[in-house]
Amino acid sequence: MAAERTNISNDLIWQITRNQNAYLVKRNSGGGSQFSRDSLNLLNKHSFKYAGYANNKAVGVQATANGGVAVTSKKPGNPQQPAKNQVTVSFGPNTGTRKIYKGVADKTAKNGYRGDLREEAVARVSAIRRSQKAKKDTPAQKPRGAQARKAAEKDSE
Amino acid sequence: MASRPTVSIASAEGKPTGASYPLPSVFSAPIRPDIVQQVHTGMAKNKRQPYAVSEKAGEQTSAESWGTGRAVARIPRVSGGGTHRAGQAAFGNQCRSGRMFAPTKVWRKWHQKINLNQKRFATASALAASSSPALLFARGHRVANVPEVPLVVDSKTFQGGAFNKTKAAIALLQALGAGDELVKVQKSRKIRAGKGKLRNRRFRQRRGPLVIHNPETDGKELVRAFRNVPGVETSSVFALNLLQLAPGGHLGRFVVWTSSAFEALDKVYGTTTSPSALKRDFLLPSNLVANADLARLINSSEIQSVVRAPKGEARTKRGVVQKKNPLRNKQVMLRLNPYAAAYSKQKLGQKGVESGKPGQASETFFNTLYEN
Repeated sequence: MAAERTNISNDLIWQITRNQNAYLVKRNSGGGSQFSRDSLNLLNKHSFKYAGYANNKAVGVQATANGGVAVTSKKPGNPQQPAKNQVTVSFGPNTGTRKIYKGVADKTAKNGYRGDLREEAVARVSAIRRSQKAKKDTPAQKPRGAQARKAAEKDSE
Repeated sequence: MASRPTVSIASAEGKPTGASYPLPSVFSAPIRPDIVQQVHTGMAKNKRQPYAVSEKAGEQTSAESWGTGRAVARIPRVSGGGTHRAGQAAFGNQCRSGRMFAPTKVWRKWHQKINLNQKRFATASALAASSSPALLFARGHRVANVPEVPLVVDSKTFQGGAFNKTKAAIALLQALGAGDELVKVQKSRKIRAGKGKLRNRRFRQRRGPLVIHNPETDGKELVRAFRNVPGVETSSVFALNLLQLAPGGHLGRFVVWTSSAFEALDKVYGTTTSPSALKRDFLLPSNLVANADLARLINSSEIQSVVRAPKGEARTKRGVVQKKNPLRNKQVMLRLNPYAAAYSKQKLGQKGVESGKPGQASETFFNTLYEN
């Protein structure tokens, strides 16, 4: 936490909350894997590295309602002020994907922020962008076998 | 500690008043979930009421065992005739309408003694945890719009008993950014599963903020104002309760302090060196480590200067790996066959035979062949 609080640290918070916290999803299905509902968790995975609430510096990437992408990060300087603690940058639906990648990668890794999260942040943008694409219709099936012959006969007539 | 951090005091509108107060020492108490959980388990048992089955249950017949020789089990059997009950087994815990195994008694040990110092330690620990936004988030409180944690409201708001309406209480909490929290509590209200429904515990819901006040200066009217807001609890700073500060034994309750209650904390808990004014023989527990930031400790020059350099290379060589087919995997082929690069660059693989048929052999050849 803040340098001024000597009894609380990110490591301590993780140790206190790693067994049970409000974001943790524990199910027996899926081999007992543990997930996180934290919006500042890039992989939705329950681990200290990705736990947004437990780290002073964390990045979250979410889809916005208008079809864009919003990137949230925490300010490391004022952990005691939740209302002023988060910064959100949003990219509109028409922004090029590569431009978003660049923005997200810079935001994550530059100025010694969280270089270890860059790849995951970009991957999450990519996944979100892919999910936002309109789904193409499956092409009509070409006739095969007897049907094809029938169709060819019809054409030649 | 170089300088004591300060906490700004918010007005009733949620804006900073400009005034601030140095953080009471109790907030730098060690955060010990183990102690809090243990004390919480004990304290949660201390409000239980005794229950037991009736002394007589299952023992109200004059059954006697038939003894051996009748080809039935030797369990006591109901005497007499003329009814189906006669001859049925009785008393045993395995019997229909027998008594239960080890019938519960009202003189069970219902309450737990907890050492006073442990209780005080746990309370101090829970208070310290309530000042960490991360722990509040982890407990599920919606505090993203709260200006500061710990959240302190100017006591002027409550002065003179004017703050006695629930409407004002809700407006205050919303101004302080706790509106989401109230919504969360309201939405969480569900009918309880099980028999508790019939026992005056019909609904269960999340816990909201805990408002801690100082009854001496704030008066008691605010208790009435807050008491009908779902999820909100109030407590006097002089009678803090671990069951409220760490519900379920989980650290990080969202606490709203009145400024006079916040200022009273130094008097209530003292510091690690000066004893508390109100608790006899109580010194705040000290932290075992001066700095809890593990990453900073590990990366400090003091530690890094004495640890030896890592052995081996930065990349470890992998031992057994999957065998790759050089005919399909070009990189493996290049490693195995030094000629492969030139071969593929010149496209030798795609080239046909250079010229058509081989020409006729020279005359000398035939002469040699057909000599003799």
